[in-house]
Formats: sequence, C-alpha cells, structure tokens
Amino acid sequence: MLLEKTFFGGKTEQRVIENIKRHMKTLGSACEVFKEAVEKQDKELMLSVADLEREGDVIRREIISNIYEGAFLPFLRPSICRFVEIVDEAFDVLEDAAYEFEYLELDDEEIEEDCIKIADVNLKMCEMLSIAFETLFTKEDLREKNLAIRIYEKKIDEIKFDLIKKLRKKEVKDFWEGKILSDFISFLTHVSDVIEDASDYLYIMNVSLR
Amino acid sequence: MKISEIMIKKLESIEADAYVYNAIEKMVDKRIRSLLVKPRDEKDVYGVVTVRDIVFKVLGKNLDPNKIRVEEIASKPVVCIDKDMDIGHVVSLMRNFNIARVFVSEGKEIIGVVALLDVMAASLIERARGGRVA
Repeated sequence: MLLEKTFFGGKTEQRVIENIKRHMKTLGSACEVFKEAVEKQDKELMLSVADLEREGDVIRREIISNIYEGAFLPFLRPSICRFVEIVDEAFDVLEDAAYEFEYLELDDEEIEEDCIKIADVNLKMCEMLSIAFETLFTKEDLREKNLAIRIYEKKIDEIKFDLIKKLRKKEVKDFWEGKILSDFISFLTHVSDVIEDASDYLYIMNVSLR
Repeated sequence: MKISEIMIKKLESIEADAYVYNAIEKMVDKRIRSLLVKPRDEKDVYGVVTVRDIVFKVLGKNLDPNKIRVEEIASKPVVCIDKDMDIGHVVSLMRNFNIARVFVSEGKEIIGVVALLDVMAASLIERARGGRVA
C-alpha cells in the first residue's frame, strides 16, 4: 500500500494505471476472439482481432503520452513504457497470426485441436498477466503469478514441439500453403513468449520498486 | 478445477505381448515415463507399465528386456478417475495408492492421464488465480 501511495497515488498516475489495465483487457479480448474464430473457423470474426489491435495502439499511445506529460517519478517511466510496449508486441504477434488465418486452410483435425488449445492457453496467460499487474499494488506475492505464467508457457512449448512433428509429416499442395501454415503456427506460439517476457518485466519492476 | 482441464490427452500405448525392449524404445523416443498396456482380449483390462517397473523388475535384476513381455511386469488394472471429478480426488487416489499417475476415463474408455507434475502445475495456477488449492 505504501508503494501505491508513494509511486502510484496521483491522478495522472491513476489514469495511466487504469489505461494499462484497459490495454491488457483489450489484449485478453483479442485472444478470446482469436480462439473463438479458430474454433468456429470464422474468418470474418478473425478480422475483429485487427480492430482490437488498433484499439490497443490507441490506448498505448495515450499511456505513453500521459507518462511523458509527467506521470510517475522519472526513474520509473522507462520501465512502465517498456512493459506497455511488450504487451503491445503481444498484440502485434496475435494480429500477424490472425492475418495468416485469413489465407489458412486448416483441414487437419489434430492440428486444429492443438491450435485451439494454444489459443486457449494464450487467453489464460493474458488473464494471469492482468492478475499479476494488480498484484503490484497489493501485498500478494508476484512470484506466484510469474510462475503460473511460466507453467502456461511450458505447456504451449510442449504442444508446439508436438505440433511441429505433425507439421513435418503433413503434405502441402504448394509453397504458399506450407508457408502460411508454418507462419501461422510460429506467430500463434510466439504470443506466449511475449506474454512471458511481459510477466518477467513486471517482476523486475516489482523488485526495483522494493 | 476439473480433471478434464488438466489431463494429457495424448496417450501412448503398447500391446500386452510386446517385449519390454519395445516399451523402452517407445519411452525413450517419446520422452515419457509410462505406457498404457492394451487389453489382450475383450475379457482383459487396461494396464500400465512405467519406467520404474522396467528398472526395478527387469534391468535391475539383470534380466533381458528382449525376453520379457510387457504384461509380465505391467500393473493391472489401472487406477482410473472420471473426467468430471476435481483435482482433490486425484490427489487422494495418488496418496492412497502411492502412484504418480491416474488415468482418466469417460465411461469405459480411457481418454487421458494426469501425472503428479500436472497436479502440481494446476494447483499452482489455481493458487495464483486466488482460488482453492487441491
């Protein structure tokens, strides 16, 4: 609580914090839409991911300008900005995956099932990242949330390696079919790496504030 | 948290009359510690063979894994739990039977497996979410 009062107590600070929460919530919505679109094989719905990414961009710009307008002590500003930028990277990677999905033909049930599973874990990681961020203002242990995110990431890695084995055996019609599928899987599995980075950064921020 | 949320659906199995050597090969290739042993016939039930069985019952006794069949060292029947049960029940089963993995069933069919590590990971996630720990 002392931390909250000393570093996050002002009006501008509160506005930035609320916007960071909104930023992460939007990322969660994008992950949710992404998962639903893969489940339903709905390319129309997948277009909403790009809309949410743009919304995320707007929030990010607002956060950064608020920070440089004077929110937070100067030594904290680069760390907060970097955290927001990492979350934004997750948006970008998810959008890249959504873009590939438009040209993708998922005709293999096993591969599709793995992709849905990964999309589901991505969503859970987002939720956990939001919980971890809230922890910055409480006396709860951030280490536990960080570990939970690492466990999720490990789960995705396991599915990824299994998926790569399946992909190597899959026959493709032409170069582009293979490239689109490969890129889609790469982007999809990279989202969790970025969220893990964000979580690690949050942990470092927490330590530096002690 | 329900078992179906944390179970591993990918099950590796082996025929009951296969040699232990084949089981070793499969475990090394797939980097797993147990195999589901298929029933021999309709009257038979599923079994499980673990790395522990192989090390203690075959290799540790200097027996030839090429001459011992999986069914000779497998444990039967397997300990199963319904997919809709919660983690607490799995922990009780593991504790009572002193086992590291429990198979998950849906009716008569085995659809997944939950190992100690999966329970630990799920419990940690539940804890981080502020929920109950198994």
